Amino acid sequence: MKQASSGSFSRAMLFLLVGTALGTALGVLAHVLTSGEFQTAFLTDVPSWMLGFLLGTLGFFYGLIGYTGIVRGLVFQVLGTLGGAAFVTLIRALLGMELFNTGTFGFTEPAWVFGGLAGAIAFMAGVGALTDWWKYALGEPVHDHHPEEATLKDYFGVSLDHKVIGIQYTATSLLMLSVGGLFALIFRLELAQAGLDVISLNLYNTLMSLHGMVMIVSILLGIAGVINYLVPLLIGAKDMAFPRMNAFSYWISIPAAVLLLSSLGFGGFDTGWTGYPPLSTRAPLGMQMFYLGVWVAGWSSILGALNLIVTVLRMRARGMNAFRMPIFVWAAIATSIISLTATQMIGLAFQLAMFQRLLGMPFFDVAKGGNPILFQHLFWFYSHPVVYVFILPGLGVISELLPVFARKPLFGYRWIALSSIGIALVGFLVWAHHMFTSGMNEYLRVPFMYSTLLVAIPTGVKFFSWVATLWKGKIETPTPMLFILGGIVVFLLGGLSGPPNATVSTDLHLHDTYFIVGHFHDTMFGGYIFPFFAALYYWFPKATGKRLNETLGKWHFWLMTPSFLVLTLFMMRVGLLGMRRRIADYDPALNFDWWQFAMTISAYLIATAVLIFFYNVYKTLKSPQTETGNVWNSRSPEWQVASPMPAHNYDREFEVVGEPYDYGLAGSTYVKM
Amino acid sequence: MTDKQHHADSLFQGLVIFVALAFLTAVEFFIAITNASILLLTLVALIKAGLVLYYYMHIGKLAEEDDEHDHQSFAWKLATNRLGLWLFLLSDAFLFAGLLVARFNLLGFTRPHLNQNLGLIVTAVLLISSYFMNRGEKQMAMGDKKGFLLSTALTFLLGLGFLIGVVFVEWPTAAHEGLTPDVSAAGAVFYMMTGMHAFHVLTGLLFLLVILRNGARGIYTPEKHWAVEAAAVYWHFVDVVWIFFYPALYLMGRAL
Repeated sequence: MKQASSGSFSRAMLFLLVGTALGTALGVLAHVLTSGEFQTAFLTDVPSWMLGFLLGTLGFFYGLIGYTGIVRGLVFQVLGTLGGAAFVTLIRALLGMELFNTGTFGFTEPAWVFGGLAGAIAFMAGVGALTDWWKYALGEPVHDHHPEEATLKDYFGVSLDHKVIGIQYTATSLLMLSVGGLFALIFRLELAQAGLDVISLNLYNTLMSLHGMVMIVSILLGIAGVINYLVPLLIGAKDMAFPRMNAFSYWISIPAAVLLLSSLGFGGFDTGWTGYPPLSTRAPLGMQMFYLGVWVAGWSSILGALNLIVTVLRMRARGMNAFRMPIFVWAAIATSIISLTATQMIGLAFQLAMFQRLLGMPFFDVAKGGNPILFQHLFWFYSHPVVYVFILPGLGVISELLPVFARKPLFGYRWIALSSIGIALVGFLVWAHHMFTSGMNEYLRVPFMYSTLLVAIPTGVKFFSWVATLWKGKIETPTPMLFILGGIVVFLLGGLSGPPNATVSTDLHLHDTYFIVGHFHDTMFGGYIFPFFAALYYWFPKATGKRLNETLGKWHFWLMTPSFLVLTLFMMRVGLLGMRRRIADYDPALNFDWWQFAMTISAYLIATAVLIFFYNVYKTLKSPQTETGNVWNSRSPEWQVASPMPAHNYDREFEVVGEPYDYGLAGSTYVKM
Repeated sequence: MTDKQHHADSLFQGLVIFVALAFLTAVEFFIAITNASILLLTLVALIKAGLVLYYYMHIGKLAEEDDEHDHQSFAWKLATNRLGLWLFLLSDAFLFAGLLVARFNLLGFTRPHLNQNLGLIVTAVLLISSYFMNRGEKQMAMGDKKGFLLSTALTFLLGLGFLIGVVFVEWPTAAHEGLTPDVSAAGAVFYMMTGMHAFHVLTGLLFLLVILRNGARGIYTPEKHWAVEAAAVYWHFVDVVWIFFYPALYLMGRAL
């Protein structure tokens, strides 16, 4: 990665400030003109902030790279949205329907929804992700080549290089992680003591709901980033199978994220991240933008998964048969099987709910023969397996790195490889355990309880393998290994707190309490956040040729881990004592104030730890020190060549001649270069 | 001579499959008006889908061997593209399966009251279009450019006919008889299923336009015509979806 010259960076910061101020001022002006009140508008008018946020972001990128790439895309998206909304309004005029509605920010709801979709497509055209396909359709030649070394501009525009796309994904994921984390910090402040004293109920509900979905999108982008960067390197391929579609998958996630966040500016919504009808059919316009954002983000997941499966099936190096593939590749395949297929179901569920709002089609309206439980079935058919999409790559990273730092062969390679596939397949059979209390047919409860408990078997295989790999190893503990060990401990907590939720008799009491919140955050941090940070520390030298600072890394770990354990264990405690989830306020007589206050402090400490990480990245990229060799003494092929990775990966084909994880065995080789 | 014989056989095979599909559609209709056994109707639909998958979409080509390690060769790229397309269809199939789940969850063993003649006519039109698509693809592989253009143009016209039949004839007819999208779950299911299918037909028509234009300009050769194959496989996939949607909407269960 080349450095931004400090000139363009300070210009970008200036434009960021100007854009934010201008956008917010415009929003407040519009607010004052329409409602006539000024005193409180500046502080409470969320749409004004969102406009400021949008213009500020645009200004930042414009200052950095000028009118190209993502800047063009965002401008196109705004114009496309307005154009699409105007188009629908024109048609409504011809049909003699209502044209404008002040309750939905000017245009009517159908106009905004169509505009949102048109804006997403316009973004893709503006950024240039559709250009080559247009040429294909016209029968013109297109070129597959990407430049020898990526410049700064390549990272903010369409690039076909899987390494650039991997870094784009990862950076976007970290940005979304910060946004989702910020939302949590705001509503955690509200929860710090009983009473409603910081934000309004609607804003609380919106932030709480968006925290969920923004984090989910962040995780999807994060795993896509790691998979994109690593899998071609691990299997010895020059790139992904379909580089153009790879770029499409990444870029479609940007308008999706914009749509998702725009729900804040469009009046918010109050359903939680699940968007259940019937509440969602009555929520403000923000609900539609939330649905649409997730629907568009689904395309990123589906096409990315398709690309990955084809890449692994078709592009492995000579000699790399199925049982010589790195565990991370197995995990990526398992994850992609779920993303490829199940994602359609949440898309359909949200699409049906959107159409119920737009055209009054009563899919979930009991009075007209609809069934709200259908939404939950479709929704969870994706949304349960998707938690395995989140954790499988993380568990893959753990299995990948443990042997490196224990200097011992991975215990039970075949079992580990197949357990990923096992978790993915069993994952398709368990969705209704989210619905034990929702009024579905009672005879479905017990089968889903047993299928859910079945997940513990392949997951247990992984734990025993990790413990056996560590057994009598020569364990080293640089920062990546700390995060791996932390991940194992936290995921164990998440795993052990799972069966009480899977068992019908206990779930009836635990459902909708903070116990679930604690359990879920343990699985997400153990299965994704910790391994993700481990992967970032571990492969950062590969991507940049520079190693992240160890001292700061240790601060990051030792601040984040205890804070996080306090946070989730306290969540489980108040949950068991009757704290309901999703609510903005609680009865002071429950005596939760102290516990809630401690949780809020912990959340802010976690945020501080992540800030230390960002500072570490910034400082490392600025420093002149380089680290180009096999930093961790790994057997994996990507570490046998120079860092940062050469533009076209390996300059010659290599052959796999041995087992991937035979660390510490004399005379064993994995790849012959 | 043997080549010519082979070509004639190959075109004849497409016709035989078409006749079999048409016969099975008639059987379906007959089952529906006699005892309407859902199990039997499902079985017939599965057989029809199997025939299309095997003979028209030639799913067996996925298993063909090629040089795995020469990533610049046309054969490698072709096999890779094929795998990608089929995975996309697998994903898309989940969407349509989800719509079927919604249909049976909401309507159970009842079905909306629809115009049976219209349903049978559009089904037949789509089936005939699939035959011409198959014929066009084979003609391209034989180097018969004129035949390819004619067959593909016929496919396009029939597809357009299907689209018009569903959206501009069937929908107004149903609405006229009281089945509007907002009146009941049955209406919602009917318009969403046919609408999503019609949207896929529309995209298929756009692909057909692309291969018609580029075919007329001579971009495809008998050896290299991946775009033609992809458009054809996609078109047949849309037909397979209708093979399940037609009985699910028109034949299965008791009319409301």
